[in-house]
Amino acid sequence: MAGSTTKTVHDIFQSMEYGPSSSSSSTAQSWLDQHSRSLGLFIDGKFVSPTGRQSRTVTDATGGSVCTTVCATEDDISASMSSATSAYKAWNDLSCYQRAKVFLRLASVLQKHSQCVSELCELSQSPTSPATLVRLAQYYAGWAQIRDTSMPDWTPRGVVAVVGSDDCSLYSLWLKAIPALAMGNAVTVIPGVATALPSLLLAQLFVEAGLPSGVLSVLTGSDMSLGAQVAQNSQVNYLTYSGNKQDGEMLAKQTAGWGVPVSYSLSLSSVCPLIIFESADIDSAVDGVIETAFKKKREWRWVLCVQESVWDSVVARLRLRMTGMKSVPLLANSDRAVVDAAVQEAQQQGATLIQSCTPPPSGSAYPPTVLCGVAPSCACVVSPPPGPVLPLLSFRSNAEGVTLGNHSPHGQAASIWTEDLTLALECAKSLSVGSVWVNSHSIADPSLPLSGRKESGTSTDGGREGLYQFLRPTQSPPLPRSTPSSVDYSSFGSAESRASIPEGADPSSIPRSYQQFVGGQQKKADSGCTKSVSGPGGAVLAYCPDGGRKDVRNAVEAAAKVQPGWMKKSPSARAQSLYSLANNLEKRGRDIATSIHKQTGLSLEEASKEVELSVFRLYDLAAWCDKERGGVQLLPQSGSALSIPEAIGVVGVILPDRKPILSLVSLLGAAVAVGNAVVMVPSEKYPLPSLEFIQVLVDSDLPAGVVSVITGGRDQLTHALANHSVIQAIWYWGSKEGCQFLQHSCCSPLKRLWLHSEEEEEKQGGGRDWTHPSLLEEIWREAVVWKSLWIPTA
Amino acid sequence: MSARNPGIDLDLEWVSKVKVNTQAVLKRAQQIQGRKVGKKQWQAAWLLKAVTCIDLTTLAGDDTPSNVHRLCLKATQPVRHDLLKSMDMHDKGITTAAVCVYPSRVADAVKSLKAANSSLPVASVATGFPAGQTPLRTRLEEVRMAVEDGATEIDIVINRTMAITGQWAGSDFIKTSTGKESVNATYPVAIVMVRAIRDYYLRTGHKVGFKPAGGIRTAQESLVWLALMKEELGNEWLSPHLFRLGASSLLADIERQIYHFVTGRYAAYHELPMA
Repeated sequence: MAGSTTKTVHDIFQSMEYGPSSSSSSTAQSWLDQHSRSLGLFIDGKFVSPTGRQSRTVTDATGGSVCTTVCATEDDISASMSSATSAYKAWNDLSCYQRAKVFLRLASVLQKHSQCVSELCELSQSPTSPATLVRLAQYYAGWAQIRDTSMPDWTPRGVVAVVGSDDCSLYSLWLKAIPALAMGNAVTVIPGVATALPSLLLAQLFVEAGLPSGVLSVLTGSDMSLGAQVAQNSQVNYLTYSGNKQDGEMLAKQTAGWGVPVSYSLSLSSVCPLIIFESADIDSAVDGVIETAFKKKREWRWVLCVQESVWDSVVARLRLRMTGMKSVPLLANSDRAVVDAAVQEAQQQGATLIQSCTPPPSGSAYPPTVLCGVAPSCACVVSPPPGPVLPLLSFRSNAEGVTLGNHSPHGQAASIWTEDLTLALECAKSLSVGSVWVNSHSIADPSLPLSGRKESGTSTDGGREGLYQFLRPTQSPPLPRSTPSSVDYSSFGSAESRASIPEGADPSSIPRSYQQFVGGQQKKADSGCTKSVSGPGGAVLAYCPDGGRKDVRNAVEAAAKVQPGWMKKSPSARAQSLYSLANNLEKRGRDIATSIHKQTGLSLEEASKEVELSVFRLYDLAAWCDKERGGVQLLPQSGSALSIPEAIGVVGVILPDRKPILSLVSLLGAAVAVGNAVVMVPSEKYPLPSLEFIQVLVDSDLPAGVVSVITGGRDQLTHALANHSVIQAIWYWGSKEGCQFLQHSCCSPLKRLWLHSEEEEEKQGGGRDWTHPSLLEEIWREAVVWKSLWIPTA
Repeated sequence: MSARNPGIDLDLEWVSKVKVNTQAVLKRAQQIQGRKVGKKQWQAAWLLKAVTCIDLTTLAGDDTPSNVHRLCLKATQPVRHDLLKSMDMHDKGITTAAVCVYPSRVADAVKSLKAANSSLPVASVATGFPAGQTPLRTRLEEVRMAVEDGATEIDIVINRTMAITGQWAGSDFIKTSTGKESVNATYPVAIVMVRAIRDYYLRTGHKVGFKPAGGIRTAQESLVWLALMKEELGNEWLSPHLFRLGASSLLADIERQIYHFVTGRYAAYHELPMA
């Protein structure tokens, strides 16, 4: 700090300014020196620096070079993956106790080297408190210890890749890597530039803590493409990403068709509402705003929503508190122009500014700024600019506050301020976000699941809930890997339905024409076209509607209308509806068994068995309805923490060919039990049992629109589901190309995907066993999203 | 002391609307305690500021003219002259804010200060200190007598019976406690009190001062108190007319810290003049 040393005691006595914060980095510097300022890749338990690789420079806050990292190539990925594959077996063969010990030792190694860790994080502009990493290690040591007793029907995925964008935080990256390891997986971490050095150090500390070589590798690269390259390696079983949306989209496109499930945490690009109600402790709320909104490196981007009655009070306090705050360095020089433009535009639209000081005429620093009186339609609210700029909106009633908070494509988190307990809980329930912080903000603890809604991600990290992404049901085989086909994304599923032409059929044996089920009514396809349904011998058994885009649209609209009410119904009411559905199915058991028999050629006896199992399955799910309700989480801080399963919204399901009724009932039941609405597309090959099942739905007391069944071309309907933004999740059984299309096209807007390439599964022995009871939990976990609620108390 | 607070009519609706979220305040208190004010000259400057805000206090049953005299002279030269000189602060009028004594010792203090050519104010804890459980008549008489003897500031123990039953009074300064309680000045309580000051300022434009008292013994604590005022109310409240630290032994620790800043060595207690 130039000039700071020339300040006399008297100068400071008069100005009463704070002194410069001393930031020593000597410990981290000597660690870097020990590695000659050039860190290799961490493969097979050691640093390796293969020759002939490009390097990337990591810079500190002043732009000075700190160290270089190696850019991994295809060879390095293979080396790392083959070591991971063999290490996975050794790691998974250890007892839970032995694995748990590694994490406990890691916690003490981290404490021992906390100075080095903290300085290195600071140097690479990824400030992280070593205490949060220690907490991660200790928390997951516990899960490693009790994995087999508390999740007996689950097996590790195998090799897991954890990818972070350049701006991703160390905590969010390792909130994935550490649980993946604790569950017995081998993990490859592909950090961004800010987290590269701390991640490499952590890998070294893991080895010091006794982690077998190869279980954890860290690969650094020049950009996001490394993550996609790793995903393309056939040894990888699962990839999870944390970071910004643009890089996430790129990753989705590059990994489409490789058969790797990918999940996304896009908290970095999410805008979160901070809502201050008139019943709040205004001073503490303003304090929270000051603390979180103007940081240089923000985990969350905020929009401040203030109830009109306390608007003046909040603004006056913001003014007082912001007086004298220093300008905040922007992350990139180019940000300054963006910030200037956004502020200017807001002012042109009538916004007034609260600014701690006048912005310097140029340069990459900007004073903390509140844009008062902007509206949801302003560009600075739709996509808040980088830097310490906070839009401030007003609302009238409590309900409007919630509406304002929800009216956003994002759904990461919300901070709400009120001393009214009932309001807090009602508001927490109504906000469609993954985390709700009451009278607090930005609390992250590994026991609280972080699960984004809408555009904020598809991954659940933290808590027991976040462990399942790294596990698969023991009885379900791992998903088969594939290589991308040449799919024309723009024309996939766009073939038009064709009207049937008269064939001069025998009038005495015209097959029955079925209708589809949309919004509670039996209907023809909007196009009026039908498709013939053939039996095993090729004979036409029936005609079904050839549904398309408009039928999907009608079904989704009906579903979106009814779903909030369905979700709000009491779980026991939903359970009763499922019991009655089960009873109706039992009544029509013969018809349905016959349809299975006719459609698939299965013996009538076997078909009856499937129907019987389906009835049991519905009973199981009805029973689950009001039993599984998340729970109370225990945090080190004092307060109440809850994790609550909630419905996703509207789910699109492309049903499998196998077990047509059992699979339909299992998926429908699980989705509907937790409060979702479903739009189901029966197997194109075997639609008859589903068409027959429509009668069961007609007789049921499910509200119109909760379940729709649309028949037709699988690709066309897949395309239609993918292109409807109301649909939040798609469960797909079908072609490899269909999987690839969905992965490619469902990243923006983001959907939760559960993809199965049936043909590939058949090649590898048949996919999941629909009759197995453990399937229930797997589907149930797909059907819910988690909300964590944090109410700190004194 | 700043401009007098003329007061407003008692508005109990305002009082009843106040919301305090305890955990948020506790968190804020921790955050303020973690705030580093700086090292070297920053620390020295802040410590000197703390000195100028001290109400140097003796409130003992065995106070006599002689120890009050020592206290007064210490208050006028709170930090050894050579130490101030080496920081170039010897001619900046560094004294404590006031001396604070029992009513019976006001005359002694005034006399000592006058003899030392000092215009330092004398504060007194009149009104049945520390319980305040004496009749209003004798309490008022106590104030009158202290003022007659030359006290210019009176720390009044409010009638807590009336406060607890909702019958409040206004003041120019509010003080955390008498310093004679088992729990005295704590940061969370102080945060709530200074926020009340801010609230009153925003509503009426009048600035009320704040005085934490009791148990403030270390230089480090005095820095936290200054940081608390700066963070919550701003720099304007970092001066003796709006902020006082009620303390007796604090000054000795501050002086030792300043000694360390100037000389690089730790002082023995006998190296610094006693109060």
